[in-house]
Amino acid sequence: MADIPRRVPVAAPLAESAWRVRARRWRELLTATLANPTTVIGLVLIIGMLAVALFAPLLTEPNTPDPYQMPRDWGALNEPPGTPGHLLGTTNTGGDVLYGIIWGARTSLRLSLIVVSITAVVGVAVGSLAGFSGGRIDEILMRIVDVFLSIPELIFALAIAAVLGPSFRNIILALAVVFWVKYARIMRAQIIHIKKNDYVDAARVIGDSGWRIYATDVLPNSITPVIVQATLDMGHIVLVGATLSFIGLAEAGLAEWGVLVSEGQAGISAGRWWASTFPGLMVFLWALAFNLVGDGLRDVLDPRTESAR
Amino acid sequence: MTTVTERSGGAAVAPQGDILLGVRDLRRYFPIREGALQRVVGHVKAVDGVSFDLRRGQTLGLVGESGCGKTTLGRCVSGLSEPTGGGVYFDLTAERAAQLDRLLAVPEAERTDAQRAELDALGTAHRVDLLTRQAWRRFRRNTQVVFQDSFSSLNPRQLVRDIVGRPLRVHREASGSALRERVVELLDQVGLGRQHLNRYPHQFSGGQRQRISIARALALDPELVVLDEPTSALDVSVQAQILNLLHLLQQEHGLTYLFITHDLSVVRHMADRIVVMYVGRVAEAGPTEQLFASPAHPYTRALLQASPDLFDDSTGFRGLEGTVPDPARPPAGCRFHTRCPLVTADCGWEVDDVVRWLEEEPGMFDELAGVERGSAFDAALTFGSDDAARRLVAALRSDAVPQAMRDALERADVTGARVDVAFRPVDEVELTRRGPDHHAACVLEDLPPV
Amino acid sequence: MTPPRAPAADVIATVTDLRVHFRAKGGTVHAVDGVSFDIRDGETLGLVGETGCGKSVTARSFLRLVPMPPGIAAGGSIMFGPERVDLTTADDRTLRRIRGDRIAMIFQDPAKALNPALTVRDQIAEVFSEHRVPDVLARAGIGPATADGWLLRRRAARRARLPERFALALPPLRSRSAAIDRALDDMIADALAETQIPNPRKVMDRYPHELSGGMRQRVMISQALACNPALLIADEPTTALDVTVQARIIELIRDLQQRHDTAVLYISHDLSLVRWVCDRVAVMYAGRIVEAGPTAQVLADPQHPYTRGLLAAVPSATHRRGELVAIEGTVPELIDPPPSCRFAGRCAHAAPACRRRDPILAPVADGHEVACFLHHPPDDADADDLPTADWVAR
Repeated sequence: MADIPRRVPVAAPLAESAWRVRARRWRELLTATLANPTTVIGLVLIIGMLAVALFAPLLTEPNTPDPYQMPRDWGALNEPPGTPGHLLGTTNTGGDVLYGIIWGARTSLRLSLIVVSITAVVGVAVGSLAGFSGGRIDEILMRIVDVFLSIPELIFALAIAAVLGPSFRNIILALAVVFWVKYARIMRAQIIHIKKNDYVDAARVIGDSGWRIYATDVLPNSITPVIVQATLDMGHIVLVGATLSFIGLAEAGLAEWGVLVSEGQAGISAGRWWASTFPGLMVFLWALAFNLVGDGLRDVLDPRTESAR
Repeated sequence: MTTVTERSGGAAVAPQGDILLGVRDLRRYFPIREGALQRVVGHVKAVDGVSFDLRRGQTLGLVGESGCGKTTLGRCVSGLSEPTGGGVYFDLTAERAAQLDRLLAVPEAERTDAQRAELDALGTAHRVDLLTRQAWRRFRRNTQVVFQDSFSSLNPRQLVRDIVGRPLRVHREASGSALRERVVELLDQVGLGRQHLNRYPHQFSGGQRQRISIARALALDPELVVLDEPTSALDVSVQAQILNLLHLLQQEHGLTYLFITHDLSVVRHMADRIVVMYVGRVAEAGPTEQLFASPAHPYTRALLQASPDLFDDSTGFRGLEGTVPDPARPPAGCRFHTRCPLVTADCGWEVDDVVRWLEEEPGMFDELAGVERGSAFDAALTFGSDDAARRLVAALRSDAVPQAMRDALERADVTGARVDVAFRPVDEVELTRRGPDHHAACVLEDLPPV
Repeated sequence: MTPPRAPAADVIATVTDLRVHFRAKGGTVHAVDGVSFDIRDGETLGLVGETGCGKSVTARSFLRLVPMPPGIAAGGSIMFGPERVDLTTADDRTLRRIRGDRIAMIFQDPAKALNPALTVRDQIAEVFSEHRVPDVLARAGIGPATADGWLLRRRAARRARLPERFALALPPLRSRSAAIDRALDDMIADALAETQIPNPRKVMDRYPHELSGGMRQRVMISQALACNPALLIADEPTTALDVTVQARIIELIRDLQQRHDTAVLYISHDLSLVRWVCDRVAVMYAGRIVEAGPTAQVLADPQHPYTRGLLAAVPSATHRRGELVAIEGTVPELIDPPPSCRFAGRCAHAAPACRRRDPILAPVADGHEVACFLHHPPDDADADDLPTADWVAR
C-alpha cells in the first residue's frame, strides 16, 4: 500500500566509516537470522555435528589403516548399548556404533561439502552463461538442464553410481553430476530478473566491462537463492547419499551412516535396534538441521520478506 | 532512402552551431518470434525513422505516450541499444553535419565509391554504433543517463560512495582519498553531503536517490545527459527541487539535456525545443513556446487538451477515443488517423481500418472468413454469408463509419460473400516545414481553431 | 473523542475526526490524524496530497480496506447514508451489503483490481448476483412468488450447490435458468456499454490481461457503477494511464456521475487534473486536512502555506525555469508526533505559536476552510509568537 508511511531517518551529522557500515549490515542479517528460534536450533545442531566431525580423531581412536572403515571387535558382537567400551552398542560384525556415528559425521561432511561446492560452482557458471547470453546458447543450455531435471534425482544418481561401481567416491561423483542443474536454473532466473534493473544499464552507460558488471551488479544480487539452496542441499545430499549407500552402492564396512543402517537392519526383527536406529537418527538430525537453517536463511534473505519490514 | 532533409530542404537540421547529437532516420525494430523454432514472424517497429538535432547547451524534450518509442530512442542515443537502421551521430560540427546530410541524401545504390568512403569516415568518427575504440571511449564518457526508477537504478548492495565513485574508478580518473573527495564534491553539487557517503540506497527517499543518480551521471563531467523520465515517480514538491537542480547544473556545467517525458507541464518548463513522437515517428518538432502556442499537428493539440496547464484555461479538457495502432503493423499513411479528430480522406485510410471496424461491430467479425490483401489499401474480404458481405458494404457507405473514410473509399463491390475494397493510396506523411525550425507531419496546412 | 457532527441536508457521508494509526518499529505512525469532511449528494470531492499524506488510507477506511494489524482504528467515525451507518464500526454483514451496492471503489491499477482468472462477464456478474437478484429475476421474466423461486434465486445469486444445480438443469427449470443467464448477460452488456466499450458482448468473454489499460479501467468502472452506488471512491484511477486515455476516462467518470447523480470521492496527487474533475477539494498534509473549499477558489486563492507551496511547485508556463518554488525539507516523521502544526518545520512563516498546538480547520470564506494559525491565531498566545505573512490581511 503506497500510503503506509515508512520513514527512515537519514540525516546524521558524522559519517561512519565504510567498513563499520558494512559490518553493521552483516550484523543486522545475523540478528535477524538468530531471531528465529527454529533457525537457532538448527544452527546448534549443525555446530554440534560439525564439531563431532572435525574432532573425530580426538573423540575416538582412529581405526588403522583406514579410519573410515569400521573397526571390528570380534569379541563383542551384537552388544547392546551401555556395554563398557561400546557406549551405543555394536553391530553384527563387532563394529562400534559410536565410532560409526562419529566418523560417519566426518564422512557426511566430506560428502556434502564436496558435492555442494562442485554443483554450486558449476551450476552458477552454467546458469550465468545462459542468463547472460540469451538466445541460442540459453536455449541449448536450458534444454540440457531440462533433460537432467526430468530424471528423478535418486534414480539418476543410482544409475550412475551403479554403472561406475560401488564406492563412496563414485557416489560423490554421481551426486555431483545430478545436482548441479538446480543451481543453473536458479541462477539463470535470477540473472534474467536482475538484468531488468536499471543499475545494470547504468553500469554499461558508465562504460564498465562485462565482467565487472557481472561481479559487482549481477552476482551479488543474484546469489542469495543459491546460498539458500546450498544450505538446504547440505542436508539433502547426505540424505540421498545415505540412501545410495543403504542400497549397497558404497563399500561394505564403511563408517557411513547409510551403510550402518543397512548392515544393522537384519537384526531389527531380532530386537537389535541400536545398530540401525542411531545412524538413522543422525541422518535425520543432519538433514533437519540444515533444513531449519536453510529455511531461516530464506526468510531473512528473501527480498519479499525484506520489503515487508 | 529519403530523409527529412531532402523533403524539407534541410531545415529540420540545425542551421548553425555545434550539433552534439544528430539523429538520422533512426530505426529500431524488435523481432517477434513464434513457434518452437522461434521463427521471426514480424517486427515491432518501436522507432521507425526519426531524425532531429540536439544542439550543444540546449534541452530537447522528447514527448509522447507509452509505446511511442521515446524510451527506445533514448536507449539508442545513450548507446545501450543498437539501431536497426539509420544512425545516431555524436558531436558533429556544422560542416560535418552538412556533409553528412549531403551524403545521406544520395540514395544508397547511387553512391560513388568516394562518397561511400566519406560516409564510412564520418561513421567511424561520429556514428555511435560504428565508432573506433578511442572515439567510443570519448562518447561513453560524454554521454550519461539518469533513469526513471530511482530504486532500480542504484545497486542496493553498494554504498553511495561506490555508486558515485564508480565512473571515476572505471575510467581511472582518481583513487583513494582523492576519489573520496571528488565524490563528496559531487554529492555537494546535488544537495547531499559527506554524511551520505557510507549509506545504502534504501536509506534514502526517492528524491534523494535521484540526486545520487544525477551525481553519478555528472562524475565524468559529460557533455550530454539523457534524462529518461527523471521526475515521473516523484511527488510534486520533490520534483520541483530536482527540476531546479537540473537547471542549475546545466547552467554551471554547460550540459546538454535530452529530456524524455510524458508530462507536458514538465517539458514545457524545461525544454528549449520539443519533439513529439507517436507510434515510432515524429509528429511535430519545434521550439517549445511555438509548439504550445500554435501546435501544427492534431496529436500535439490533443496532448495539450488532455493535460492542461494548471493556470491556463484556454485549451479546455478533453481526451481521445480510438485505438492506438499495433506497432508491428503501423498504418501506411498517417499513424494518427485512427484517433484524429480532424481526419480527412487523404490521411491514409486502409484495409486495416475496415478490419478494426469489423472487430467492434457486434457479430460482424465472427463472419469474416478471410482477408486477401493486394496492398495496404486494397483487399478482398470473404465472409461466411452473402448477407454479412452486403451489410459491410452498406455500412461503408453510411455514417456508421467516419465521413473521411467514406470519402477515401474508391471501391466497395460485393460478389456473393466477397467484398472488394479499395481506398485512395497515400504515401507516408513526411515532416513539412511550418516555421523556422518548426516541422509537423500532417496533411493539414493549418489546424482549425479549437 | 468528538461526537459525529450533524450533517447538512444533502450530505451522503460525514467523516468526523477520523484517526488511523499504524504500528511500526519504533512507535505508532499517525497516518490519518483527525480528518473531518462531508461529501454531498452528487458532488465530486477531491482529496489531494503527496505521498504519505494519508489520502489513500482515508479513502480505504470507507470500506474497511485498511489491514488491521498493522493498522489501528484510533478514533473518529464515517457516517454514511440517510440511515447514518458508522462505517468504522459496522458489522461485517452490513459492510458487505454496502460494498459494491451503495459504495463502490475503483483503484489505480486495474490489473490488481480485476481477478485475472475471471472473464469480464464473470467479474461483473458477481456484483449483480450479490446485490441485484430481484432485478435479475425481473429481467428474466420470472415472477417473485413461485414455488421454485428460491431455487432460481440461488441460481441468480450464483450460490447454487451441486445438487441444486443438477435440479436446475432438468427440463422444468432449465429454460428459466437459461433466461436468468441471458438476463445477466444483458445487464452486464448494458453496464459495459455505459462506459462506451465498443462491442461489449465480445469484451465480456475476454480475460483482463487481454485488454488494454484503458479498457481495463472501463471494465472496473462498469463493475463499480453496475449497481448505481450512491458514492464512488476513486483512488488515483488514471495514474497508470496515458494522458489522452486518462482524459477520456475522466470525461467518462464525469459523464456517468452526472447521469446517475453519484457522489465521487476522488483521490489524486495531480492538481491539474483535480481542477477539471472536482467540485470541491480538500488538501491533505501529514495525516490532516490543511485546506478545503470549492476547487476554483482553492486553486485561485490558496490560503494555506502548503497549498501555496504546492501550486508554486507545479511546473507551468507561468514559472521561469529553475525557479519553481521547492518546499524546503521533507514530510516529517509521523511517529508519535507532538501537538504542533505538522507543516511548521517547512513553513516560511512558522512561529513559536505554530509548534505548540494543532491548528484546527476553520472557515476563512464561504465554504473555504483552512487549518493555519495565520488565519486563526490562538487567543492565548503572545502577539510576538504568532506567524505573519504579507499575503494575509489582519
